[in-house]
Amino acid sequence: MKFLAKKQYQRNMWKASLVLVLAFALLLTGCAGGQGGNGKTVDNAPSNATNATTPEGEAKGPVKDGTLIVGLTTDVSALDPTREAGWESYLVNRNIHESLVKEDLSKTSAESPQVAIVPSLAESWDISEDGRTYTFHLRQGVKFQDGSDFNAEAVEFNVRRAWDKDFEFFDELSAALMSRTYHALKNVTSPDEHTVVFEFNTPYPAFLRLLAQGSGGSGLLASAEAIRKYGNDGYAEHPAGTGPYQLEERVMGEKIVLKRFDGYWGDKAYSEKIIFRPIVDENARIAALKTGEVDIIQGPPIDSIDKLKEEGYQVPEADLPIVYYLTLNTGNEFFKDVRVRQAVTLAIDRESMSKDLLKGYALPAYSAVNAGSEIFDPNHKPLQYNLEKAKQLLAEAGYPDGFEITLQTYNGNDAYVEWIQRDLAKIGIKVKIESYDYATFGSLRFMSPKVGINTMDWGFVTAYWLYIVGYSESTGRYGNYANPEFDAAVDKALNEVDQQKSFEYWKQARDIIDEDAAIVPLFSGKTLVALGKNVKGFVLPSQNWYDLDKVWVE
Amino acid sequence: MALYIGKRMLAVVPVLLFVTFTVFLAVHYSPGNPVDMILGNAATPEAVANLSREMGLDKPLLVQYVNWLADLGQGNFGNSYIHKTPVYDVLMDKFKNTVILAAGGLVLTCLFGILIGVAAGLKPSSWLDRIIMFTTTVGSNLPTFWLGIVLAALFSVKLGWLPSSGMYDLRGDKTFASLLEHMLLPSIAIAVSSLAVVARLIRASVIEVMNADFIQTLRSHGLPFRRIVGKHLLRNILAPVVNITGLEVGYLLGGVLFVETVFSWPGLGTLLYNGIMGHDIPFIQAGVVLIAVIYVFVNLLADIIVSLLNPRLRG
Repeated sequence: MKFLAKKQYQRNMWKASLVLVLAFALLLTGCAGGQGGNGKTVDNAPSNATNATTPEGEAKGPVKDGTLIVGLTTDVSALDPTREAGWESYLVNRNIHESLVKEDLSKTSAESPQVAIVPSLAESWDISEDGRTYTFHLRQGVKFQDGSDFNAEAVEFNVRRAWDKDFEFFDELSAALMSRTYHALKNVTSPDEHTVVFEFNTPYPAFLRLLAQGSGGSGLLASAEAIRKYGNDGYAEHPAGTGPYQLEERVMGEKIVLKRFDGYWGDKAYSEKIIFRPIVDENARIAALKTGEVDIIQGPPIDSIDKLKEEGYQVPEADLPIVYYLTLNTGNEFFKDVRVRQAVTLAIDRESMSKDLLKGYALPAYSAVNAGSEIFDPNHKPLQYNLEKAKQLLAEAGYPDGFEITLQTYNGNDAYVEWIQRDLAKIGIKVKIESYDYATFGSLRFMSPKVGINTMDWGFVTAYWLYIVGYSESTGRYGNYANPEFDAAVDKALNEVDQQKSFEYWKQARDIIDEDAAIVPLFSGKTLVALGKNVKGFVLPSQNWYDLDKVWVE
Repeated sequence: MALYIGKRMLAVVPVLLFVTFTVFLAVHYSPGNPVDMILGNAATPEAVANLSREMGLDKPLLVQYVNWLADLGQGNFGNSYIHKTPVYDVLMDKFKNTVILAAGGLVLTCLFGILIGVAAGLKPSSWLDRIIMFTTTVGSNLPTFWLGIVLAALFSVKLGWLPSSGMYDLRGDKTFASLLEHMLLPSIAIAVSSLAVVARLIRASVIEVMNADFIQTLRSHGLPFRRIVGKHLLRNILAPVVNITGLEVGYLLGGVLFVETVFSWPGLGTLLYNGIMGHDIPFIQAGVVLIAVIYVFVNLLADIIVSLLNPRLRG
């Protein structure tokens, strides 16, 4: 520095001013480009350059042993089958762990509108005539990733951990989440090493489906050895399942690296590694897809989908068994009145929300029963948009000028939440939005009396879904809703062995909860992921998660 | 000299006490109750009372503060309500990444701030000076967050020159080159406005020094221009440079916290944001105290360096 000559100063000066001029130029281009700074140049997307070696149309087998990177919308919760929460957690967990039965996710929504249940760690099962006893015959010769054997004892261990209060490894948190699945469980026994018997207090047609799913506790099975070794709290850091992949490394908030499990009993997975990366910011997630830093992104924002498709990225569509809904807190001073809840429901214009805001990539929803459910009826549309009636109900309830209320949501929902804010302002309800990351939102989801509304997107294929969101003992209720009539209808449905009759009771329950308007259905989603141009073998089924073991990057 | 440094370090103690107390009060009076937060909807009145007692929340405010301070002193930052793990573990790991990024921004700030400032100051009112003055005025007002988005859109997505997220290439090894590549854009985003501020202040110092009598004397003695600039000018503007830089560190740290979200940089910013949104009190307290402590110590360091450079200040 000391010996810098004047000329050199000038040269440096030039470089330096160049940087600033560049920064200024950016400012101008940024302004001119309006919202789309990453705008119009479609033709020179960088991934083309790296992809020059694989001309299309040439029939080649899958590329094996590569690395697949998935960009998640948020960091996942515990890598623990009965402590996990959220779809993305399940998406990760189901590569490490497996359940007794699983869903066949190899078919698209068009091929199979409802995903079928197929054997996994159980080769077969029998259901007693009264629908109360399930006997599973387990697959033999299967090993967990820590080397221990998969057998009836391991299954029992997992169930007791989340159900049996006297069990040495009983875990409160698991029990809370798994109560949806095991609330009516009377006993679990293992007559021999390869047979497990579940006995329930009521007929339980939803059981297989619940075992094959996840997102708030799952039927996935963990190694009993690993739980004994690391404890209930430590397991999530040292998970050992029987799945096609095992955990290599997890850095909180940064990445989860899975590597192929060589001792897997089934077909070998294609990719050597799968890396999951939380990228919370939507724009950052799309940028990462476009630069090829990730191959698959979760939750591409609706207003980016058309452009992504134009640029050659894949955005598969499916009828997802999911409903985006608001929960109105019946423990809140305003929302304890059913008229106020109905007014809110009536005031939200869901047709144009789906059409204009969500650009047709969504189906307007009018019932707590999600699309894709076994009792879904597209013609059942109570409480449709009616501003006049909404105002009238609100006035009758004593709030002609509306009131102010807090809505809690999590990152990524801004667009539709602001739409609701605008719609509710029309009847005088001022909505204050608080947006959290998913993990934080999870800890707040049971609303305190001060919070009026929160959002969720959830849903199940089974009609039993209604029990989860509405039954007075269910932990899936976030807004204190409780109605004895609804509970009675659900009880009847649960105790009915005949499926058609059971569905009729479920529909009665549906009518009650929809009329009570404690849940305000908004829309069902159709898209879930966007894929890089060179991602092959991906299938989006009618489900909120998908298989990754047969996906590869070319 | 030792005396000066000793005095200066002692002066840090009340500052830190003030900072910690402010943080403590701010969090204490912010909405949201930690006990409800932990218990969720399992919160019966007895459970709330028990947990409050267990956590010491039933004690007088000042006692709570002193207890918390004592824990901090022993390196016990408490357990995060959200992550259910010791705050220290989560925080330190991410904080390291934040420091790396802030350091990148600091290097750019110093390097280009000095170059640009000196270039402008040597020829005040020239066309070059005017351009620099104009661009730095604009530059110092560019929102960091926005600049990050524009940089990523242009250099990553459109041109494909640099990665847009993370710290390392996940398909490759954790190399230093990969780190540099990943930190360049976020560093520029956080550096631009500090850089502009530093450049303007340096320009002012340069003009002042170049007009000082001793420089005029040196000139009249026929010393070559490069020697005047290289030896006498630089030595005399060094003190303000160090001082400003110390102050800008706070601004840089603030900028980093925003930019991290844009570039998915696995640092403290995202984590702290979540902590604040989730009323994760131990987390917020530890995070804010950590940043404040860094700020105070960087400025202490700057003061000490300045005193080494300028003997007149030591007295």
